Amino acid sequence: MSQEDKLKSKIQAGEIVVSGVSKEYGANQFAKEVVKDCSFTIERGKLTVMIGPSGCGKSTLIRLLAGFEHPTAGTISINGKPVTGPARDRLVLFQETALFPWMTTYDNILYGPRARGEVTKETLELAEFLLSKVGLQEFRKKYPTQLSGGMQRRAELARAMINNPEVMILDEPFRGLDAMTKELMWEYYSALYEENRRTNFFVTTDIDEAIFLADRLFIMSNIPTRVRAVLEVDVPRPRRLLDIVENDRSNEIKMEALSILHEEAMKSFSRGSKAAADFVEAYSKRVAKT
Amino acid sequence: MLEILKKTMPFQVVSDTMLRRIAELGKRVAYDKAAIIYDAGDSAGDIYIILSGKVEHTLEPGVNARRPVQLLGAGDVFGWAALLEKFPHRLAKAVAIEPAEIVRINGDDLLRLLESDPDSGDVVMSRFATMITRDYTVPDLIAQMRAIHRKLHSSDIQGMNLTMYRLSLWLKSPRPYLMLIGFGLFLSFWYLAVEVWKLPRFREMPGLTVVIKEWLNPDPSYGLSIYTAEYYQHILVSIWRVTQAFVLASLLGVPLGLFLGWSRKFKEYVFPVFETLRPIPILAWVPLAIVMFISTESAVIYLTFLASFFATALNTMLGVESIDESYVRAAYCLGAKRHQVFRHIIIPGALPFIFTGLQISIGVSWFSLVAAEMVSGQYGLGYVINTSYTMVRYPTIVIGMITLGFVGYVTSAMVRILGDYLMQWRVRELALGGQ
Ligand SMILES: Nc1ncnc2c1ncn2[C@@H]1O[C@H](COP(=O)(O)OP(=O)(O)O)[C@@H](O)[C@H]1O
Ligand SMILES: [Mg+2]
Repeated sequence: MSQEDKLKSKIQAGEIVVSGVSKEYGANQFAKEVVKDCSFTIERGKLTVMIGPSGCGKSTLIRLLAGFEHPTAGTISINGKPVTGPARDRLVLFQETALFPWMTTYDNILYGPRARGEVTKETLELAEFLLSKVGLQEFRKKYPTQLSGGMQRRAELARAMINNPEVMILDEPFRGLDAMTKELMWEYYSALYEENRRTNFFVTTDIDEAIFLADRLFIMSNIPTRVRAVLEVDVPRPRRLLDIVENDRSNEIKMEALSILHEEAMKSFSRGSKAAADFVEAYSKRVAKT
Repeated sequence: MLEILKKTMPFQVVSDTMLRRIAELGKRVAYDKAAIIYDAGDSAGDIYIILSGKVEHTLEPGVNARRPVQLLGAGDVFGWAALLEKFPHRLAKAVAIEPAEIVRINGDDLLRLLESDPDSGDVVMSRFATMITRDYTVPDLIAQMRAIHRKLHSSDIQGMNLTMYRLSLWLKSPRPYLMLIGFGLFLSFWYLAVEVWKLPRFREMPGLTVVIKEWLNPDPSYGLSIYTAEYYQHILVSIWRVTQAFVLASLLGVPLGLFLGWSRKFKEYVFPVFETLRPIPILAWVPLAIVMFISTESAVIYLTFLASFFATALNTMLGVESIDESYVRAAYCLGAKRHQVFRHIIIPGALPFIFTGLQISIGVSWFSLVAAEMVSGQYGLGYVINTSYTMVRYPTIVIGMITLGFVGYVTSAMVRILGDYLMQWRVRELALGGQ
């Protein structure tokens, strides 16, 4: 490899390029188009958040990025290499990813390094650090069913972070947590991100979560999905939870994002989507309040 | 209806008697095309099993289903919200999209029935959990599954293993006393029917006191009691045969089942043959076994092995198929190779089903052993029963039968203890429904 190539690969490390990707399920008249002509670039070292109505096809995109499924059209590349299957250059935390019930918290967290035969003294130290960071030191010997929902999510996060991947892709990792735990998780997660600034791609349906975490925000259209708008979240880091309500810039971006999401929801509302109807209802309540 | 129940995920491995009792709880209901069976938010009392027709099942967005819309057909089970702790209401909308015939079973009634037999109850509930994770794609919800029994609190089971947990549960329930009463009634009926009332059909039977006297006699009139070395020899021979057959069945059945579940190609080759051979009763194999093996000993072991092998392989395969695909994906994402996924995910993930299989396997191996020993062999409890019959030693028959029941029970308990030991991670899941 020439010096120039090396440099190039370094520059591209952690970059994801999605171009003209479509994904259909089924065939012929039963075909369902979930992603349509979707293109975007995720820059390295940034925390990019994708937000869209539920059921729009975000998780489908994630499965394509992970390489477990393949696009019907278009290409995806990571660090300049086309994605053909699951590989170690990216770590995906699927929406449904669960801890392995037959392993203790500690074994779960160490699973990645152990499977790859990469356990070193540093890995073990990192494990300790992460355990304390996510507040699970006393639960290391417990099995997942003995943990609460919030603890399980934190353990999942630690299990992903320990690999220190160049690219980390997370699909609604904080779904189903209560508001308090969720905010704690945002703080943990953004602190961990700020520490090493790897490429992070984060999927959510929660607008506050999106704006608190994101450097850049992708707003997705309804199904079949594509990127409808890109917003730069230029709120300085480290951010405080209070920024969500107090910071004017945060609120500006939030309203802009919500109005786009609202338009998308209206589109499918006329087609009778329950998810969208819920969203519109929630949104109008919110507007009435502010 | 029984046939359909047997095909459903939760009730696959339930015994026929239990299945019949479950079926008795069910009410058949017919729904017209487009009838709404229930809507999200309705209160949830019954679970539903489709006998015929098609139902569209749409989970509400709040539950985070991976695939919210499912098309269900005959043999599918829905309405499981009735079995959840915190959700006495429906999480989905279910609509008959063709005229459908459906069995409704009240969730509370079902739980009460399962509680009467907590061992199969545990299996049914954990299969429900598997179904909710795998077919309805909402793993988040299994934490809310109701538990079969909740007499112990989580603090009580800290540091206790599954066997001790089951034992303490058993001792705290009325079951040991009911069991004693049951035995008491049985024995007194035996005594009265044969020796006091001398009922017509029972007159020729050996009486309770006769059997006990013979059994405990240092100098037994028919040659077999706890004081004769021969008695233990028969027991040991039977145990040794069952052990060989069981170990062989497990050594071959578990890997076969793992590969059947792991590789679609392999299953396509092997499974049809497997399913053709499986229902053939042991007795039908006897002539062939005698022809195939020169020594009767191998023939007996072969016959004992067969049914166990099928039970183990089948359950292991179902176990692999029950594993949530997302565990496999997570392992690949974390950098595991194919063989590691097999070792770290497939095997432990299938373990609960494997042990259900082994439990069945040890049971049927005793069953077939006796059949095999009656046909050929020189020692063993089946042989004792058969020769005592031809030689008119009736009390000895009964001694053989009771011993058989006892030894069979102990071996199956041992298999369960081993399973509990290997699956410590299920303590809480089974004990408290993972609350
Ligand atoms: N394997 C599949 N086969 C058919 N349809 C699917 C499949 N996976 C997802 N879908 C459909 O694609 C749509 C988008 O799903 P998903 O990507 O999970 O949405 P999101 O993650 O944005 O909530 C849903 O309507 C879903 O039913
Ligand atoms: Mg999703």
